[in-house]
Amino acid sequence: MATKAYDKSFREEVYDKVDAGEEIKLCMQCGVCGITCPLRDEMTYGPRQIWSLIRAGKRDEVMNCSDIMLCTSCYTCKVRCPRGVKVIDVMHGLAHYALQEGIVPRENTSKFGKFFWNSIYKTGRIDETEVPMRYSMRRGPIHGIFETLEMMDIGRALLSHKRMHFKLGPGIPPSKKIKGIKGLKKMLDKAEAMSPGKEA
Amino acid sequence: MGQAILVVGGGMSGVSAALEAAEAGYDVVLVEKNPYLGGRVAQLHQYFPKLCPPYCGLEINFKRIKSNPRIQVITMAEVTAIEGEPGAYKATVSQAPRYVNEKCTACGLCSEAVEATVPNPFNYGLDEIKAAYLPHEMAYPFRYVIDGSIVEGDQGAKAKEACPYDAVDLEDQGSETVIEAAAVVWAAGWSPYGPAKIEYYNFAANPNLISNVQMERLAAKGGPTEGKIQRPGDGAEPKNVAFIQCAGSRDVNHLPFCSTVCCLASLKQATYVREQLPGAEVTIYFIDIRAMDRNEDFYSQVKADEKINFVKSKIGLIESDGEGNLILEGEDTTSGERFKAEHDLVVLATGMQPNTDLTKIPADMVYDEYGFVQAAEGIFGAGTVRRPSEVHVSVQDGTGAALKAIQLVAGR
Repeated sequence: MATKAYDKSFREEVYDKVDAGEEIKLCMQCGVCGITCPLRDEMTYGPRQIWSLIRAGKRDEVMNCSDIMLCTSCYTCKVRCPRGVKVIDVMHGLAHYALQEGIVPRENTSKFGKFFWNSIYKTGRIDETEVPMRYSMRRGPIHGIFETLEMMDIGRALLSHKRMHFKLGPGIPPSKKIKGIKGLKKMLDKAEAMSPGKEA
Repeated sequence: MGQAILVVGGGMSGVSAALEAAEAGYDVVLVEKNPYLGGRVAQLHQYFPKLCPPYCGLEINFKRIKSNPRIQVITMAEVTAIEGEPGAYKATVSQAPRYVNEKCTACGLCSEAVEATVPNPFNYGLDEIKAAYLPHEMAYPFRYVIDGSIVEGDQGAKAKEACPYDAVDLEDQGSETVIEAAAVVWAAGWSPYGPAKIEYYNFAANPNLISNVQMERLAAKGGPTEGKIQRPGDGAEPKNVAFIQCAGSRDVNHLPFCSTVCCLASLKQATYVREQLPGAEVTIYFIDIRAMDRNEDFYSQVKADEKINFVKSKIGLIESDGEGNLILEGEDTTSGERFKAEHDLVVLATGMQPNTDLTKIPADMVYDEYGFVQAAEGIFGAGTVRRPSEVHVSVQDGTGAALKAIQLVAGR
């Protein structure tokens, strides 16, 4: 049987372009990351197998895999990794790189990220009512109403503990802005201009 | 005595160094912390790969020591200070009280008279021993020890009263002596890495989760179960035993290096189980099996046993099923499957921590990042304080250290 050599180009691309991408060189494929992950049942591959796919040159499998956007940054894998691989940094690096390349590995996470970012960018704070409200409306108002109704018990509990305030709808009434929001926007704009893929 | 060689540690490396130097015509002082010689080797059931009893060779060495007037053995002692320079050292040796003098015939009457017990360090805490005890049945020197905890009070008095040879000395204060030596061989050995430090293995909460050094004692005739492999939790015969390799080894959070012996130790211990319990299944969970040169043949032999399974996975979590069995979770890295596996006895293959990482040599020495001793002039590391190694390598290393020490003494 003829053997086929691994395609090294994607590996080199990750080392070169993904934030913390070179970290995976340290991996010895023990599997602890995959088993310590609290979202292991949701993951298709888990970090170890993703590293392995990168080494094997499987660009499409990795870039389109929702795993790289599922990481919640709980840090358990990073703490337990016997080789000290910065697993989370690589996962976030891969997700960021996929977006940069125009690939959305996980639609929901990507949208939530946008609403989260917009809230900070516009008001300088996370509005705990505004963000989930906009998120639930991501597929239109009808879907939003059904999804909101499903979450009603949690919403009531949050309201009664004053963890959430009442709103009629997104932007009604508008969220309060922090003082100096203009300065913050300047900072964020500059940071974005400096981010990989955007510079020069 | 100014030309003597001081050997610190009476395990395999230290005994080898002492004997080689003494038999070449040099005076040797051998200092050992335990009440007996032989170190960790004395606690092993069998050697790999030949599966022969370590005591066979130890006995020959003890006989050589006994018949050689050039070797002075000081047990229950530690070297607390070293001053001077290569060729002219002064070492302070602090000896703890044994409360039993050289008149002891090891008749055992003191032990019979005493009721108090203490945890048995020789069996790694798996059982208790009378507070007046022979460290183990093949101990050299063959002399009892009285635990300091019973010296004051009626238990100590009972032991003294029971001794027909006037060998019990409750007034023993220990001693501190200064030894002049031209060279020092530091062979203080290793300690098993503490399995409780790997918090996701829940070692302390599960009695049927043991370490590999404890497994040696479970299989040994002189051990807590007289050699029967049983679950410490309930004494039941295990039917499905797991070995977890690299428990705390090759791990930047614990021991970052490979101890080189744990793979072979587990392969060997798998044969203990299979020999004694023909119905039992064994599974070895590993990252890589590191069985080099002649040991690879042993690996092949063990692998040929259909009841010994190999799973390429570092176990990431151990939990109790609430009834004494253990649930292991891991990812089989050959298939990519995540699994949960139930076992009734689980052995953690913990690694070797050099004792120089835990207690430094009381002299100006250089260590690597893991606490292993680096080469120096006049004070020579030997055995597992220099690098993790199996027994025959320790013998070679002890011999090498003896040669270095001799060169220093002979050159003067």
